[in-house]
Amino acid sequence: MNKTLLLTKSNLRKNRGTSVGLFLLMVIATCLIGISLLIFMDCYPSVSREAVRLKGGDGYISITGDLEGFTDEKIAELFEDDTDSYYAYHDLKLSNHPVAFGNGEVVISVDICDDSAFERPMNTFEVITEDSSIADNYVYLPYQFNTSGGFKTGDVFEIDNSGKTYSYTVKGFTNVVYGGCNNTALFALVLDNDSYETLWNDTHEEFENINVIYDLKDGVKNGEFRIRTFNEILKVSPLAVTEGYDIDGVISNRTFIGLIIAVSFLVATSLIIVAIAMMLANSISNYIKENMKTLGALKAIGYTGKDIKSSLVVWFLVIAVLSSIIGIVLAYLVMPVFASIVIGQMGVPYVESFNLLATLIPIVYVILFTLVVTVICANKISKILPIVALREGVESHNFKKNHVALSKSSLSLNASLAMKTFFSNMKQNVITFIVLGFMVFCCVISLLLYENFSRKPKLDILTTEICAGVVTSDYDTREEVLEYLENRSDIKNIREIINMNVYYNDEESLFCYIVKDLSKMNNKNLCYKGRLPEYDNEIAVSGSFAKAYGFGIGDEIKIDYGDNSYDYLITGFIQTTNNSGREAILSYKAADHIMDIDNIPGWYWFDLTNESDDVDENIDEVNRIIEECEDKYGNHIISTMNFYKMIGGAMTTFQGISVMMLIVMCSISVVVIALILYLLIKSLVYHKRRDYGIYKALGYTSGSLMLQTAMSFMPSVIASAIVFSIVSYNVANPYISMFMRAFGLMKCDFAIPVPGVVAIAAGLTVVSFFLALLQTRRIKKIEAYNMLVAE
Amino acid sequence: MKNIIETKKLCKTFSNGGVQQHVLRNVNLEIYEGDFTIIMGASGAGKSTLLYSLSGMDKPTLGSVSFCGTEITKMNTDELALFRRSNCGFVFQQVYLVESMSVLDNIMAAGLLVYKDKRTLLNKAGEILKAVDIDEPLWNKFPTQISGGEAQRVGIARALINDPKLVFADEPTGALNSHTGKAVLDTLTKFNEKGQSIVMVTHDITSARRGNRILYVKDGEIAGECNLGKYVTGDKERHQKLNDFLAKMGW
Repeated sequence: MNKTLLLTKSNLRKNRGTSVGLFLLMVIATCLIGISLLIFMDCYPSVSREAVRLKGGDGYISITGDLEGFTDEKIAELFEDDTDSYYAYHDLKLSNHPVAFGNGEVVISVDICDDSAFERPMNTFEVITEDSSIADNYVYLPYQFNTSGGFKTGDVFEIDNSGKTYSYTVKGFTNVVYGGCNNTALFALVLDNDSYETLWNDTHEEFENINVIYDLKDGVKNGEFRIRTFNEILKVSPLAVTEGYDIDGVISNRTFIGLIIAVSFLVATSLIIVAIAMMLANSISNYIKENMKTLGALKAIGYTGKDIKSSLVVWFLVIAVLSSIIGIVLAYLVMPVFASIVIGQMGVPYVESFNLLATLIPIVYVILFTLVVTVICANKISKILPIVALREGVESHNFKKNHVALSKSSLSLNASLAMKTFFSNMKQNVITFIVLGFMVFCCVISLLLYENFSRKPKLDILTTEICAGVVTSDYDTREEVLEYLENRSDIKNIREIINMNVYYNDEESLFCYIVKDLSKMNNKNLCYKGRLPEYDNEIAVSGSFAKAYGFGIGDEIKIDYGDNSYDYLITGFIQTTNNSGREAILSYKAADHIMDIDNIPGWYWFDLTNESDDVDENIDEVNRIIEECEDKYGNHIISTMNFYKMIGGAMTTFQGISVMMLIVMCSISVVVIALILYLLIKSLVYHKRRDYGIYKALGYTSGSLMLQTAMSFMPSVIASAIVFSIVSYNVANPYISMFMRAFGLMKCDFAIPVPGVVAIAAGLTVVSFFLALLQTRRIKKIEAYNMLVAE
Repeated sequence: MKNIIETKKLCKTFSNGGVQQHVLRNVNLEIYEGDFTIIMGASGAGKSTLLYSLSGMDKPTLGSVSFCGTEITKMNTDELALFRRSNCGFVFQQVYLVESMSVLDNIMAAGLLVYKDKRTLLNKAGEILKAVDIDEPLWNKFPTQISGGEAQRVGIARALINDPKLVFADEPTGALNSHTGKAVLDTLTKFNEKGQSIVMVTHDITSARRGNRILYVKDGEIAGECNLGKYVTGDKERHQKLNDFLAKMGW
C-alpha cells in the first residue's frame, strides 16, 4: 500500500470522532447547497420550461368592459404587426373578485373558460390531476388551489355574482401559464361546457373578456408594446378596461419564494462553511499537537513533510468526497419536502430530476474548499524539525497570567475552575463565539420571516394600504354611500382611494393609488424616502421603478393616462411587492390633471371602530357591514373587499414556508452547534486528560469535572448569544432588504419580536450548555490511575 | 498499633488480548497509623498496583480493602473520589501539578474540596508551603517556572493540605537528582515525624531507608517484611538490616 494511504488509514482510524464530526458538517453543508442549487437550477426553471411547453408566448393582454369594436379584424390590426403569432379568445373575467383560498380568500381577477382551454394553440391548459368520475357541473382549478389553497377534487367551489351563487364540484387541477398563481393577480378556471354556457348567459354582458396571448417579434420591447396596445385599445373604446402581463413578470412572481428559500440556505451554508474551515484548522492543529512525537519519528525514518501533509490532505479529502456525495444524495431525498413548499407558490407541477450542475457544484465546492484549507493549515508540518518533534515540539508553557486565582476568586470552586479552563482555551472560545453567533443570526432571520409572514403577517408588504374593508359604489350613489358609511358608528377613518393604471413614457405601467386625503393613510411606512405628495404637481413612485429609470427625488416625470399627460415632481419613493414593484401615489387634485376625477365611482376604504384581536370576529364584522351596505344599495355596490379575509388567503403560501424555515434553521443550528461542541470538547478533553486525571486523584468527581468543562464554554456562548442577538436584531432588516429589493421592498422594517430574540439567545445558550454537558461524558471514562500510570 | 488499612485476599488481574496477568495475588496486609511504610520490589512486581489499590485509585479484581474500617472496594468511582478528598494525599513521580495553575492554586484546588473557609485554607496553604520550603515568591509561579525538586515539594504540600489520614507516594524521587531527591525525602520524613502516615513505593534503597517498615513485593505477593524502627540519620546498623533484608528477598 502506498505510504500516504497507509498514513491516511491510520489517521482515519485514530481520529474517528473528528472524522465523523467533520463528515456530518460537510454533509449538512453539501445538502443545503444542493437544495439551493436544485431550487435555482431545476425547480425554478421548471416554471419557464412549463411556460414554453404550454405556449405562454411573451405575454397577454385582456380587454373587458366595453368590447364594442373589437372584431377579429381589429384585434389582428392591433397585434399582427409586432407579433410573430398571437391567439385571441373570448371568455369571462371577474375583476377584483373574492375567491376562497387557503385560510381565507383572495380578491383577484378570475378568468373563466370552457373546455376548449385544453386545446388552444397558445396558453394551453393541462390537467394535472382529476377525478374522472365527476361528469357534470364541474370546475378545474389552477394547481395552486391544490398545493396551497386547501382544495381537493370533489370539493365545492363557489362563484358569487350579484347575490347569486354558482356552485361547482372540483373535478381536477390544471397547469396554466397565466392565471395559475395568486401572486400574478389572476386565477384561470375551466368549467364544463354546460356550466360555462349557463354562466355565460347570465353574466357575459357584464364580464365578457377578450384575451390575447402573443409572441413578439425580435426587437419589440414587451413593456412598450403593451402600453402602446393599451392606448390603441382605449382609442377603439375609451370604456374598455385593459390588463396585461409579460411572461418574465409572471415567472418572477411565481418563483420568488423559491428564491428566498434558496438564498436563505446559501447564507446558512456559507456560515456552516466558515465553521467547517475553523474546525478543519482546529483539527489539523490538534493533530499536529497530539502526534508530535509520531511526526518526529516519521520524519526521522525518512518521511518528508510533503508525505505527511499528503496524508492529512487525503484524510480530509476522503471525508470531503464521501460527505459531499452523501450530502447531495440527501439533498435529492429531502428535495420533495422543499419542492412541495416552492410548488405551493409556483403552482406548477415539479418532478424532481437529476441536474448535473446542481449535483457537481456542491461536491466540487466542498472538495476544493477542503483541499485549500487543509493544504494551507497543514503547511506548518513541513517546518517541524524531527528532533524538535520527538521532543514533543519543546512546548514552552507561557502562562502570562494566573486567571481567576483560586485564592482570590469569589466564585464557587467549579465556576473558578471553569473560568480557568475558559481563559486557557481562547481558540475554542473564538470558534464557539463565531459559530453560535452565526446560528443565532440564522435563527433571528427565520424568526423575522415567521413573525412577519405567519404569526402576525406584516400586511403593508402585501398591500400599499391597510384597512378592514373596501366598498366600491357606482358614480350615481357615491355621495350617498359615503354619507352612509360616515354615519356608521362601527367603522372609522373612511378614505377615498382609487386604483388606476397610469403610464410612463409608453414603456411602463404604474399601478397608481389616487388618494383624496393622504393624511388618512394607515400605512405610515409606505414612503421610505422623501415624502408623500402634497400638492397637485407631486407624485410618489416606487423605489424599484425609480431605480430602473434613474429617477431621484425632485426629478420630473411625465405620466400619461389615455390621451392626457402631465409632468409631476417626484417627492418620495414608496415600496411595494405588488404589481412587480411598479406603483405610484397621486392625490386627487394631482390626478385631476390627467383624468376626470369627479366622474368616477366611489372607492371607500374603512377601518373597524372596535378591531378585535380575533381575526374571525373581524371577518364577521366586516362581512356584516358589507352585507348591510349591499342590502341598502343593491347593484349600486360594484365591488367589496373584506381585508381580513383576503389576508388569510394571500398569506397562505407564505405561512408554510416561514414556519418551515424557522424549524429547519433552528434544527440546523442545534445540529451544527452540537457538532462543533462535540469536536471542540473532544479535543479539549483529550488535551486536558492529564489534568482531569490529576483532579480525579485529588478527589474531584466526574460530575464536577463535566460541569466545569461545560461551564467553561458558557462565557463565549453567552457573550455570543448576547452580542449576536443585538447585532442580528439591528442587521436583520438591512440584510433581508438586500434580497427583497428585487421584489420592490427597498427598506425593510420587519418586526423582530424582542422576546423571540431573547428566547432564541436563551434557548441556544441552554441547549449549548446541555449539549456541552452531554459531550463531556467522555470525562467519565478518564480514570486517574490509568492516566497517571500511562504517562 | 491502630491500623488504617487492612486488605484481605487482594487480587488484581489484567487482561490483555485474552492473556491474563495476575499482578496482585491474595495480598493480606495492614498499614498502621504513624508508619512510614515502604513498598519495594523489582520492576513489574506490582508495587504501584498495590499502592493504587490501597488508595482507592484503582479497583482490585478480588478481595477487599478497608480504610479506617470502611470497605472502599465496594465504592463507585464518585464515592471513591469523595473518599480520597479528605483521607488520602498523593505524591507522584511525575509530580502532576496542573500546569495552567500557579503553585498556590494547585494547593487551593485540592484544599477547596474540603475547606469551606477560604481564609483558613489560605493560611494553611501558606504554612504548608513554608514547611516544604517553598517561599512566598514562588507561590504565584507556574509549575513550569520552578525546578523539579520544588515542584515535587509543592506536590507534597498539595498531598498534605487536607490533613489526609494517609499519604501515598509513588516513587517521589524517581525523576529527581540525588540532591533534590534528598530534600523531598527530608520533607516527607519531617511530616512523618509529626505523625503523618505515609506509604511510599520506591526501588531506591536510599529512599527506602527513610521508612520504618519495609514490605517487599514479589510476583504480586508480599514476599517479606522488615521493621527498621525509627529513622535516624547515619544509623549504619539500620542500613545494614535493610541491606540484609533486601539481599534475602533477592534484590
